Amino acid sequence: MRKLIFTVNGKRRTCLVRDHETLLEVLRNRLGLKGAKDGCSTGDCGACAVIVDNRLVNSCLMLAIQARGSKILTIEGIGSRQRLHRLQRAFIEEGAVQCGYCTPAMILAAKSLLDHQIKPSEEAIRNEISGILCRCTGYNQIVRAIQASSQRRTRR
Amino acid sequence: MRSSSQFNIIGKPVERIDAVRKVLGDPVYAADLIPNDSLHIKLVRAQLPHAKIVNIDISTASRAKGVRGVLTARDIPGVNISSCIIPDRPLLAHGKVRCVGDIIAAVIAEDIDTAADAASLVNVEYEPLPVISSPSESLRHESIKVHENGNIVRHLRIRKGDVEKGFAESDIIVENSYATQFQDPTPIEPEAGFSRPNSDGLVTFRGSMQNPHYVRGAIARILGTREDKVRVVQADTGGTFGTKSDEVAMDIGGLTAISSIMMHKPVSLVYTREESMVLHSKRHPFTIKHKTGVTKDGLLRAAEIELVADTGAYASNGPLVLLRAIFHSTGPYVIPNVKADGLCVYTNNTIAGSFRGFGNPQAHFAAECQMDAVASKLGMDPLEFRLKNILRPGASTASGQILDESVGLEECADIVRDSSRWSDKRAEYKASQGRLRKGIGLALMYHGNSIGPEGADIATATVTLTKSGVVFKIGLTEYGTGARSGLAQIIAEVIGVPLELVKDEPADTATTEDSGGTFASRTTVMGGRAVMAAARAIRDKLNKVAAELLECHPSDVTIQDGIVRRSARSRMIPLGKLVDECSRRGVGLTEFARYTATGSAFDENTGQGTPYLQYTFGAVVAEVEVDTGLGLARAIKLTTAYDVGRAINPRGLEGQIEGGAAQALGYALMEELVHKNCEVANPSLSEYLIPTSIDVPEIESHLVEYPGRLGPFGAKAMGEPPIVAPAAAIVNAIYHATGVWVRELPATPDKILLAISL
Repeated sequence: MRKLIFTVNGKRRTCLVRDHETLLEVLRNRLGLKGAKDGCSTGDCGACAVIVDNRLVNSCLMLAIQARGSKILTIEGIGSRQRLHRLQRAFIEEGAVQCGYCTPAMILAAKSLLDHQIKPSEEAIRNEISGILCRCTGYNQIVRAIQASSQRRTRR
Repeated sequence: MRSSSQFNIIGKPVERIDAVRKVLGDPVYAADLIPNDSLHIKLVRAQLPHAKIVNIDISTASRAKGVRGVLTARDIPGVNISSCIIPDRPLLAHGKVRCVGDIIAAVIAEDIDTAADAASLVNVEYEPLPVISSPSESLRHESIKVHENGNIVRHLRIRKGDVEKGFAESDIIVENSYATQFQDPTPIEPEAGFSRPNSDGLVTFRGSMQNPHYVRGAIARILGTREDKVRVVQADTGGTFGTKSDEVAMDIGGLTAISSIMMHKPVSLVYTREESMVLHSKRHPFTIKHKTGVTKDGLLRAAEIELVADTGAYASNGPLVLLRAIFHSTGPYVIPNVKADGLCVYTNNTIAGSFRGFGNPQAHFAAECQMDAVASKLGMDPLEFRLKNILRPGASTASGQILDESVGLEECADIVRDSSRWSDKRAEYKASQGRLRKGIGLALMYHGNSIGPEGADIATATVTLTKSGVVFKIGLTEYGTGARSGLAQIIAEVIGVPLELVKDEPADTATTEDSGGTFASRTTVMGGRAVMAAARAIRDKLNKVAAELLECHPSDVTIQDGIVRRSARSRMIPLGKLVDECSRRGVGLTEFARYTATGSAFDENTGQGTPYLQYTFGAVVAEVEVDTGLGLARAIKLTTAYDVGRAINPRGLEGQIEGGAAQALGYALMEELVHKNCEVANPSLSEYLIPTSIDVPEIESHLVEYPGRLGPFGAKAMGEPPIVAPAAAIVNAIYHATGVWVRELPATPDKILLAISL
């Protein structure tokens, strides 16, 4: 067991992890953060995506110990029931949520993109989320939600 | 019927009632809810697709550290069956294995890794049997029995008129064969569930599923106990598309239930993606032969159709998939003489069962490509040819059913023609030169609503109004469709409460009546009628009491946004006050309602009758670009129009239309679950490709409303219809672009290149 010290959603966390444990397993099983999902364990579906040091990462492919000293952002660190993040609002309003299983990863991917590009093109949006599979929506409502959200931001 | 603009909440693109917890990432799916003290199961699966089981040695596995037990067939307390319509499938294999999806043993351990390691220590001795890898082999080799009573599960027939006479009257006869593949449903959430023993009963199972009451029945039979001893609760379910309606939910429920009772602890079972893709049911591959007779003016005279479905090692819902396929096998056209024969056949492939569309995508792929083939022989525009033959009000279907007024197919065809600029593009794309060729193609469709002749069709619901708002309970489940949100809208509309105050309870067999299965796109149509009736009964009671308070006639009472008043300029009463008054008077505001659909029936020998009580109609135009050097086809735009009867929520419908189109796109161009000698060759998401955000083009959706008699406010089913037509439209567009036919799905580059080169 190794000691892992890192920051998750703004809070410093310490836990003991096994060498082979993935970041996904640690987030879900040790920290109780169930928003990141295990859809395939092979980095193909993207449902496990979280933001590590400002980069979108498939957490099922990252060993937990590789995250020592890093800043992790998961869906639990975005918005709240009392105050939804503008992306969460946009997803709801555009109908971009159906079964919801890919939704945490999609929102994190959108945030990651919008943190780097204020008004991304449709092509840039589709590229950014191309690593996250959705079987329900056909993606177009998700793309529209991200576009709506980016427009809302620049209107300020 | 009132037009949509006269409703307060019906027809509005309001927000789903379950969206907030999903955008927050709340732990609501089955694998999120597993208790910390849960034990874990890992499955031992068959290594061969067809073999006698000589011996199962669990001794080493059982003794491994951390292993609490290993279940085999003899540990099943009740009946060792986990199947859909026909009891042909054991929960745990005994005697022989019939496909690599058969489960031989379940290892129960303290953690997943220990269970997995121990599973590899279970030693199974087999005596291999000859393997049947296709329906044609199955039909040819009657002596090799997948099941004792033979390899044909079902034979269905349609006989209308006289096809020999019809062909004699035809100027042109066109014959083609079509073939479709195993398509994997690929819900992003793999199957999962856990059971825990109850203090006052036997066991509670919580899991990813479509039908809690069916699962309860299956678990009770497996345990050999009464249904009221088993409680099943549906967890939020991350997509299913039919597969979690079939064997998987019963398997996980049965195995965890047995284990948790044995161990006196919670026990969970979570499938890996690989297990999911091997074990769960997929779309039936079909081979479909069409022989079509038409006059030189383009009038259809005769259709002779043969359908053969590969249901894999177990029947699952195969007999019903065949039924839906054969009843829609002509496509939405008037054909006076029809002879159709359908067979559902066992092989040693993994199971084919329920998947959105349920035989109709296969039927329409063949039927709609055939229509283009006939149009081509006639030298007619494919749309004009179809318009000469489509079903219109008063038309007779292949089953001899006379359709009533609710037939919006022609308007759908007109809309997609105009909106896609069909004629201009047909000419413009035909003229394209060079390596990249564009094409535009079309498909029309119809889809019988709800269960039809597949069984009894009954829905029930309970609605309760309190000062806090409305709570409703229904056995029909949510798994992404948004249908439960539509039910909330219906209740809000009828009673007059704001939508935000309508809440639904989880589908829990302990507290919720059976409402039939959540499949066949029946939630809005059947569930909607049940909640509407219950809400109506509450509203009638409110009207009566309010009428006394407001000194008017009950029919003059209006309730909107929780405000009660007389229609004219009267004083208003907040709904909460009215609820108090009802309570004071002993007027109960909980209502239970039951809605039964009757009238669907057909003759077993001829298929004549009324198979479905209403139909959803639609039209899809697909534009593609084909790289003729690489054989790569991509969709560049889809234009769709659907007759939805009444749009309950246009935003929700848009989601179904776009999501269904994306799945159909995958079905057309890239998805195939490959069996090699009956073993699944590509059970992973890097080898089984579903569309990503880059593959799905702009999708335009138009809704028309021709209210039907069956659903609330005239609504028609729209869960499955959007997946039915796009594949044929895409393949027809590929033909337009390249001049070559791909009659076998998926239309992958190798097939397109081969067709071009020939």
